[in-house]
Amino acid sequence: MNDMSETLIQTENLCKTFRSGKLETPVLFDINLHIRRGEFVAVMGPSGCGKSTLMHILGLMLSASSGRILLDGADAATLNETDRAKLRREKIGFVFQRFNLLPTVSAYQNIALAERIRRHRPDSRIQDVLDAVQMADRAHYKPGQLSIGQQQRIAIARAIVHKPAIVMADEPTGNLDSANAQNILDLFRKIHETGGMTIILITHSQMAAQAADRIIHLNDGRIEHG
Amino acid sequence: MLRLAWANLLHRKVRTALSILAVAIAITLLLILVGLSHGTLNDVSNRMQSVEAEIIVRDTNFDLGTLSGGKLWEKEINRFQEIKIDDEIAVRRVMPVFLGRMKLAGQSQNVFGVRPDDFPFFAGSRKLVAGKIFEDVESPHVILEKQEKQNTLDDTTLPVMSIIIDRKLAAAADMNVGDATHYGDLPAQIVGIVETGVAGRVFAPINMLRAANGIAAATCHMFFVKANPNFNTDQLQTLCENIKQTTKRDATLVANYGQIIKANFKTLIIFVNLVSVIALVISFLFILVTVYTSVLERSKEMAILQSLGAGRKLILSQTIHESLLICSTGSLLGIVFTFAARYLIETARPLMTVEIRLSWLLGAIAVGIVGGILSALYPAYVAWNHDPVEALSFE
Repeated sequence: MNDMSETLIQTENLCKTFRSGKLETPVLFDINLHIRRGEFVAVMGPSGCGKSTLMHILGLMLSASSGRILLDGADAATLNETDRAKLRREKIGFVFQRFNLLPTVSAYQNIALAERIRRHRPDSRIQDVLDAVQMADRAHYKPGQLSIGQQQRIAIARAIVHKPAIVMADEPTGNLDSANAQNILDLFRKIHETGGMTIILITHSQMAAQAADRIIHLNDGRIEHG
Repeated sequence: MLRLAWANLLHRKVRTALSILAVAIAITLLLILVGLSHGTLNDVSNRMQSVEAEIIVRDTNFDLGTLSGGKLWEKEINRFQEIKIDDEIAVRRVMPVFLGRMKLAGQSQNVFGVRPDDFPFFAGSRKLVAGKIFEDVESPHVILEKQEKQNTLDDTTLPVMSIIIDRKLAAAADMNVGDATHYGDLPAQIVGIVETGVAGRVFAPINMLRAANGIAAATCHMFFVKANPNFNTDQLQTLCENIKQTTKRDATLVANYGQIIKANFKTLIIFVNLVSVIALVISFLFILVTVYTSVLERSKEMAILQSLGAGRKLILSQTIHESLLICSTGSLLGIVFTFAARYLIETARPLMTVEIRLSWLLGAIAVGIVGGILSALYPAYVAWNHDPVEALSFE
């Protein structure tokens, strides 16, 4: 079992400002977060409050303008592009609102490709994870041949196949009807309980956020409470 | 990653097929143009090697392409008899050649005007497969005077110019011994067919050929010099230099004749190379646009790969992979097209020689690969600089 008292993600006075020419758009202000290993956290807030930006920064897809991020002990500021990609590859799994599966290859190949990028040989883990998301019988379908709920299951399988320390899900139920949304949230709970992964769920939905153990409220780029 | 590159290319089948076809056509054009020009020149050069002579003498201003420039005088042959190398008579025989042109099998053919008793030296080991060696008139005047009086093709009193053609030309022109043709105003008849591989595809008696060209004087375009058979390469080279000094003419070893031809057709070769390069550049620009468009369309896919942990190098290699797949497939298809085109050309025009060398085929593949990488550079630069977060944010 993971040590729930161990801090996995920590931010100190994290700020993000987007710059386009002379125009500056501040998005995040002094974000101080502590997320423990094995926690299931929801970051909740209205559209445009900076949730996705926060997730991209925590997922090392985007750099902060100022402040500090410690990810499993690594200071993001000290990492170069290659190290960031390596950390992303090994410790993080992303799930997106629009699934973001590669349309030209099968569901199985989507997962296998992620494994190859992680320099893992595609093996029985793919079959196991497809079983876990109940998509084994659709493994050789291309994304366009799957329903949106099924596509999101494949996206989740791709994110967890390598048993990452952190799963970051950006509005994973945003494109789903309520029945499919509930199924996906149940799946996240199951993954959390059986796999012990740290899950960060970005959502604007109160219902989705209820699936998490802790809710962090974000409003206008600031943490209100959580 | 190669599998993903293939999947992406197959996802856009028509565009991929057109890109591959563009490369294939450019590679075919390159190989055929180079093969045709080199093939034709090398064929002529190789046929020259069959002559039982070691040195070719020409006027320094003579142009083989247009048969214009300075001529030689037959009386110059006497000078060769005096040359000695290491106290040995250096020259055993000097064979004058007057060159003309006539149309046979739908193509302009060089006609070698030679003395009848020199013909066996030009045939070398190739035998007459039908007919006999021609005869010549004593002097071009015989014909010229008759032509002046009775200038008509139907005049049966005009002497007929006997010609010998090689077997390949006979087949291409569908002609046999006894068949009639004409050289300019002069009636001509095929009297012999020689095995393929002799220096000229058409041989005619030298005086008749001179007369047919309106030349009364005993001039010619080349001397083929048969040297002392005991001479080694160094002595032949010395003889060559000696001939240059003695005659003030250009002398070259027959073995180096290919270089002379290539020097004479330098402009043609430059033109062919230029056309080939332009074709290649256009096709690779086409690939650049294809891969660039593909990169723009797939910025989201690249962002997904990055979210999975792919570094920029992997994104870069993905772009280059696709370009390389297009170009290498196109190059291989181009090689197939080249063999097909060669078959069609040599079937339709049997006298044309399209040379295909393994080194050229390997070169074409190398050109395809290098072109593929070059074509991918700018799209790869765009891919390298794209913003994954922005790409993931939009549909």
